[in-house]
Amino acid sequence: MAALVFAALILVIFNFARDPTVLRAQDLAPSALWVTITFASVTALNRAFAVELDHGALDGLLLAPVGREAIYLGKLLGNLLFTGLVQAITIPLFVLFFNLDLHGTLPAILLLAFLATVGFTAVGTVFSALTARVQFNELMLPVLLLPFMVPPLIGAAQVTSKLLAGRPLADSAGWLQILVTYDIVFLTLSVLVFPAVLDE
Amino acid sequence: MTSSSSLSASSSFPQSSTSSAVVAARKSIRLGQALTVLALVALAAHYVRAIQYTPIEATQGLAQKIFYVHVPAAWSAFLAFGILGVCSALFLWLHDRRLDLFAEASAEVGTVLTLIVLTTGPLWGKPIWGTWWQWEVRLTSTLFLFFLMVGYLTLRRSIFDPLERARYSAVVGILGAMLVPFIHLSVYMFRTIHPKPVILNPEGPTLPGSMLSTLLEGVAIMTVMYLGLVLVRYGIGRLQDEKEARHAAQG
Amino acid sequence: MLLRAEPPANGGFMVAAYALVAVVLVVYAVTLFLRARGLVAEVKE
Repeated sequence: MAALVFAALILVIFNFARDPTVLRAQDLAPSALWVTITFASVTALNRAFAVELDHGALDGLLLAPVGREAIYLGKLLGNLLFTGLVQAITIPLFVLFFNLDLHGTLPAILLLAFLATVGFTAVGTVFSALTARVQFNELMLPVLLLPFMVPPLIGAAQVTSKLLAGRPLADSAGWLQILVTYDIVFLTLSVLVFPAVLDE
Repeated sequence: MTSSSSLSASSSFPQSSTSSAVVAARKSIRLGQALTVLALVALAAHYVRAIQYTPIEATQGLAQKIFYVHVPAAWSAFLAFGILGVCSALFLWLHDRRLDLFAEASAEVGTVLTLIVLTTGPLWGKPIWGTWWQWEVRLTSTLFLFFLMVGYLTLRRSIFDPLERARYSAVVGILGAMLVPFIHLSVYMFRTIHPKPVILNPEGPTLPGSMLSTLLEGVAIMTVMYLGLVLVRYGIGRLQDEKEARHAAQG
Repeated sequence: MLLRAEPPANGGFMVAAYALVAVVLVVYAVTLFLRARGLVAEVKE
């Protein structure tokens, strides 16, 4: 809930933090949307392992006869669902606040959102487990994760901007390739390194 | 909740016999110091060559010569980071604590090199591009290198158990190393679509032979500089590690 | 005949950059050498 309010507030701030005569809502919109999603997701990821940690459930999970990879995938899915939920509400808000005409690009934008989110959530899930037991973890997680959010963010913002300008998705093939490659690489790597994050 | 097992008892993170660790550390330090001094002297010679004997670029003037320290520094910063990535991956596979210590050394030296790139960059950019900063591929990638290395070192400082610290840093190291190609690619694509008007092309359409050879000399020198510094820093890390192990054994 | 203009007088930037690189590397190297010396004296075989 807090993540949602946070997201809404950021959108509001973006709208007022510009000179409307110079910057059209449509030009600002992609950046605003993606920055918002980024920060809301980081907030969500910060809490991802906190609950288990507080209740000692992490040790219980480790004792269970479930592979480490399964724990990761489970966590990943959970995080994706959560960020998906935040986005499901943020995106309509964004269309509303920025008075956008989507020209039927919604499916493409949703696809984009999914691709970008998988990428950084894959890494974010690893980092949230890692920073859960580290000092200053509220700060450590964003510090470590934000660089990883940049390539998906650039790709998503660029493609969104093209889509809103009425260009077909095919025009953004290059960016989409980068996004997909990023997802594959980091999902694979994350699954491979995640066991190292859980104690022996 | 840190593990309470003593450092040397942990079988998955073995300590080499203590005196061999100290001997190895000392050797590393001696070799590193020799290489560093060699590199510093060579750097001075390189300065002379770059300033005196390499032609001045007619349209860009003397400031173009910053190129001969900026690019080599960038090369060795990326080398440092690449080695950090490799050591991190190897560590997760082999659990050899020396790999962890070398990664840490590489991160610290790399951070210094990155700072050099990020400060000489604007000093070059202002006279050549007209702006202190541009979001172009090399500078942006180096900036990310800086963030990643600082994040890596900060993380290390917040974990007190050596095994946990080594494992977690290795995870960050590997993921970080894989990120850099994507940053590079994304910025490149971004620049291709939104090119900034570059008044002068700093590297020129082709680099004349004399400039290229000076540049390559710079690269060689900075590579040796990296090696020297990292070996000293690695030796320091091993001695530190040994010192902590002895305290833990006594306490 | 093409008249070539004088290259811009921006040597100051070069001097600053070269000085910076030298200072940073020397200072860092000295820091490392001192740390090493301290530890080598302290941690005996």
